[in-house]
Amino acid sequence: MTTIFTDNLSTFLSGFGYTLLASLIALVGSMILGTLFAILEILPNKALSIFGHTYVEIFRNIPLLVITMFFYIVISNAIKISGFWSGTLGLTLYTSAFIAETVRAGIQSIDSGQMEGARANGLSYGQAMSRIILPQAFVVALPSLANQFINLVKNSSILAFVAGFDIMYQANVIAGLNFDPFNTYIVAGILYLIITLPLSYYMQHLEKKSA
Amino acid sequence: MSMIEFKNVEKYYGDFHALKNVNLSIDAGETVVLIGPSGSGKSTLIRTINGLEEIQEGQLIVNGYDLHDPKTDINRIRKNVGMVFQHFNLYNNKSTLENIMLAPRLVLKRDEAENKKVAMELLDKVGLADKADSMPSALSGGQKQRVAIARSLAMKPKALLFDEPTSALDPEMIGDVLDVMKDIASDSDMTMLVVTHEMNFAKQVADRVIFMDAGEILEDSTTEKFFTNPDDPRAKQFLSQVERH
Amino acid sequence: MIVLGVWGGLAKGASEAKHVDTFDRIKEQHRIVWGVKADTRLFGLMNTKTGEYEGFDVDIARAVTKQIAKDQNIKLKAELVQVSSSSKIQLLKNANIDATASVMTITKERENQVDFTQPYFPAGQSLLVKENSDIRSVKDLNQPGRTVIGAVGTTAIPTMKEFAPKVRVLSLADYAQSMTALKAGQGDALTTDNAILYGLAQQNPGYKIVGGNFTNQPYGLATDNDQPRMIAAMNKALDELEKNGTYNRLIKKWFSNVPGLDWRTLQK
Repeated sequence: MTTIFTDNLSTFLSGFGYTLLASLIALVGSMILGTLFAILEILPNKALSIFGHTYVEIFRNIPLLVITMFFYIVISNAIKISGFWSGTLGLTLYTSAFIAETVRAGIQSIDSGQMEGARANGLSYGQAMSRIILPQAFVVALPSLANQFINLVKNSSILAFVAGFDIMYQANVIAGLNFDPFNTYIVAGILYLIITLPLSYYMQHLEKKSA
Repeated sequence: MSMIEFKNVEKYYGDFHALKNVNLSIDAGETVVLIGPSGSGKSTLIRTINGLEEIQEGQLIVNGYDLHDPKTDINRIRKNVGMVFQHFNLYNNKSTLENIMLAPRLVLKRDEAENKKVAMELLDKVGLADKADSMPSALSGGQKQRVAIARSLAMKPKALLFDEPTSALDPEMIGDVLDVMKDIASDSDMTMLVVTHEMNFAKQVADRVIFMDAGEILEDSTTEKFFTNPDDPRAKQFLSQVERH
Repeated sequence: MIVLGVWGGLAKGASEAKHVDTFDRIKEQHRIVWGVKADTRLFGLMNTKTGEYEGFDVDIARAVTKQIAKDQNIKLKAELVQVSSSSKIQLLKNANIDATASVMTITKERENQVDFTQPYFPAGQSLLVKENSDIRSVKDLNQPGRTVIGAVGTTAIPTMKEFAPKVRVLSLADYAQSMTALKAGQGDALTTDNAILYGLAQQNPGYKIVGGNFTNQPYGLATDNDQPRMIAAMNKALDELEKNGTYNRLIKKWFSNVPGLDWRTLQK
């Protein structure tokens, strides 16, 4: 196992780098999109809230692979999108739907008096949302968000399907050449753990704190 | 000059008729107390004044702006009309000082040094200068309410609305809050509308008392007349009930 | 050439006790049981309407059977059994099948396990490109900015790196995915066995084979190991099929309409 790792060090490390990069981009992107759609969902404007809800339902209920393939194969005919970006975009949209649900639940758990107090104090809806409601909602949603991020890192293995150069892709390539899929995938699994375990411990820490 | 004016205002929650043909005028600088049994529509009425509740019919003119006109920018009215809530509604994620400074900074773009000076003066006025850095969760109910009042005052409003400001407080806390309110009422420029059950407070500071029941204004009299010889029989009955307590 | 790794492990479990002379067995049973592919267009493909196997390998198996019957003056019929890349060697060793005609490249490693006839098809790695592509051979791929697509786990990808070190290689899960990616413009060429590419070129209008084979990895018919009499009989049959024109007729039948392929170069 160690020889497989050392023999393919640069390949594995490059896979690790792409997985980390895709995860980070998708994390930031899905937080922004997810928060945006969470707010759309709870807006009093019916059309916007239906739009937000539709987005969430669509991307939450379509397999990640289908979304990714859509970018890689369909959209790619019009605008050139590489495997890496297809996978990262798919991951972003898919995760954003789950984050929207988490953030929406967080927002709705905040006492409505917080919004009323802020509005009565003269703040606009946007100011009240960004300064008062969301910071509190994120604290409530944090353990669940951390869980989404762990899922995001694991789901980034979708990049392997579209030749996105991530850990899983490199493991497939290596296993296809050394005929030792068992040990190769163990190395891949360890590389994923290096990213997800700290997140997992952080989550447990948060849960203990809030308990 | 009238600061707040209701003209034939109707308010419904679905089928429920919450405000029935309300006509009311409050002049700038006046202190008015609004009383009535629970569910009478007092809170609904006061919440329409800063647009937390919409009206369905009639005209509601606050500081010269018609709230029922869709072109009216509600934030403009809220800048000049503060509100103090039964449950304080302090920003739980901000310190006491930040609670007071946030709206002047964002809405009035007040200079930061000036903002802090005003905030500290107000905290001093409500007797909580030592709590500037405390989070709301570390304050008692009475302290929270005094911070909430300071927060409203920091906007330098023309009018202040109080929605049962002492109802959620332990009895020993009520005095401090009422003292602050009395102090504000003594400012002849400030328009105050207070929904409360504190009859002594009403007697001491109100220029006028309004009695509501079942969504209607039944009595609108000077304080002296209201407490000695109200016209409306239900107001009379209500008074006799609360006086007995 | 398509090495899927698993077969080696399976082959180890072969039972030596069953080792009998294949040639004796076919004469006794009056049949040759052939392992053929069911998923490889133009070579061995199950026709879902008729349930029959169709393809060059299938026709070669039938023709060789007929020729051996004629040569030996015995009655023989060809029976076809579906095999996969990973199962075919094990099936030979277990005597479930007598021989294979299943797009199998003759390699040193496999010769330890099975016996091969002389090559019956000039297989090798080739390229499939869009009809209007400026790529004419593997050399054109050897420059930065070029991308070639292959299926993961095939030797085509490391081989590609030898012939065109500068090319970027994308490995996709299988040929269907590789073809879809090529169509979506994710790469400039698809590389694998010419045999596979012929099928893809025929199925996907607008794509053609270019540059011929840049590796030489011919297919052979195979039997269990240590079967000199059966191999001799099959080689003799193959020679005669070449001489009497059957072989060339089959080449024309299966490969004359593959875009970009000059099928005459396959004839003997």
